[in-house]
Amino acid sequence: MQKIIGAIAIALLVCACSSIDCPIQNTVYTTYKIYNKADTVDTLRDTLTVYSKRVEGTDSVFINNDIKVTNFSLPISYMADADTLVFEFKNVNSIILKDTVTVSKTNTPHFESVDCSPSYFHNLTGVKYTKNKIDSIVIKNTTVSYDASKEHFHIYIKSDN
Amino acid sequence: MTHLKNISTYISKAIISILLLLLCTTVSAQYQYRKKTVVVEKDTIPFFRGIAISTDLVGPLMLSASDYGQYECALKVNLKDKYFPTVELGYGKANHNDGTNINYKTQAPYFRIGCDFNILKNKHAPNRMFVGLRYAYTSYKYDVSKADFKDPAWGWNVNYNISNVSCSYHWIEAVIGVDSKIVGPLHLGWTVRYKHRIACNEGDYGNSWYVPGFGISSNTRLGGTFNVIIDI
Repeated sequence: MQKIIGAIAIALLVCACSSIDCPIQNTVYTTYKIYNKADTVDTLRDTLTVYSKRVEGTDSVFINNDIKVTNFSLPISYMADADTLVFEFKNVNSIILKDTVTVSKTNTPHFESVDCSPSYFHNLTGVKYTKNKIDSIVIKNTTVSYDASKEHFHIYIKSDN
Repeated sequence: MTHLKNISTYISKAIISILLLLLCTTVSAQYQYRKKTVVVEKDTIPFFRGIAISTDLVGPLMLSASDYGQYECALKVNLKDKYFPTVELGYGKANHNDGTNINYKTQAPYFRIGCDFNILKNKHAPNRMFVGLRYAYTSYKYDVSKADFKDPAWGWNVNYNISNVSCSYHWIEAVIGVDSKIVGPLHLGWTVRYKHRIACNEGDYGNSWYVPGFGISSNTRLGGTFNVIIDI
């Protein structure tokens, strides 16, 4: 009897310690995968910088001089109906071409626990873009959540040739 | 020679007779002993032994000292001091507002239904130790809110409010506990409970946090009660 009571007391003490159950992957990003015209994965040959205008008028740089990558991730706003991003491509001859990409979406608040940061999940509804360097952008997965493994956009970039 | 043979035969017969007599006596004694044991173990306690009501003191204490807790009472039927069919009704509440400044509110009733089994050898002793099982269910709504904050990338104000999210939770509990007679109809007792979620609907916005009667939402949870029990 005493042994049982002792075991129960130890179990209660151990379980009295609280734990925080926030997911390890707790950022909500969109993922862009680079493809060529043959619809195979391509590598970024130009240097890419992506930025957007903050509410106070300054630039918020999300990617700075990225090159030789096959994919990249960009943040998505919590509550705006559409995010406007500037893609700046600089080739080996230092010629800069800019494209403006506008991603439309719906926003749903997401709750994990009181111990975790608040977040929003999104449903992508459309994408518009200029075509100076970008050939096309196709939405592949409309749901944007903590799942970083999903490819949300396939981006096709024009070659210099 | 013939005379000697006769004597030897008589002795052999006498020994065999004595052995047989002893064997019969032993068997008869064992049989009588068994008969006596059966008579002693016969249980004349009636099937229905009464009803007890109880209330938990841990839940209100949690409610006064932390962000969540519950009020709970139970009705227990005593069948032969061995089986105790039980119904537990409660009302769970949570109002959390600290840490990341996320405010979580919920309040809802819950119920459990199950049976305890007295595992002591002497079932009719004033003290009992029991194990039991429960099925539990609650249907609740929660609200989550947070003061406006800045979107880190764009700098816009973000409003974070989720209201009236409908949820339901089914779980089972394995119970172990004791119950001691203090004076007259008054008993005190405690239980330790292993809770295991079997099904849930936590709405369209992710997870709920506190579940009335279950505690913090997860697959499994340990809990306990300290009960004041009155025999009716």
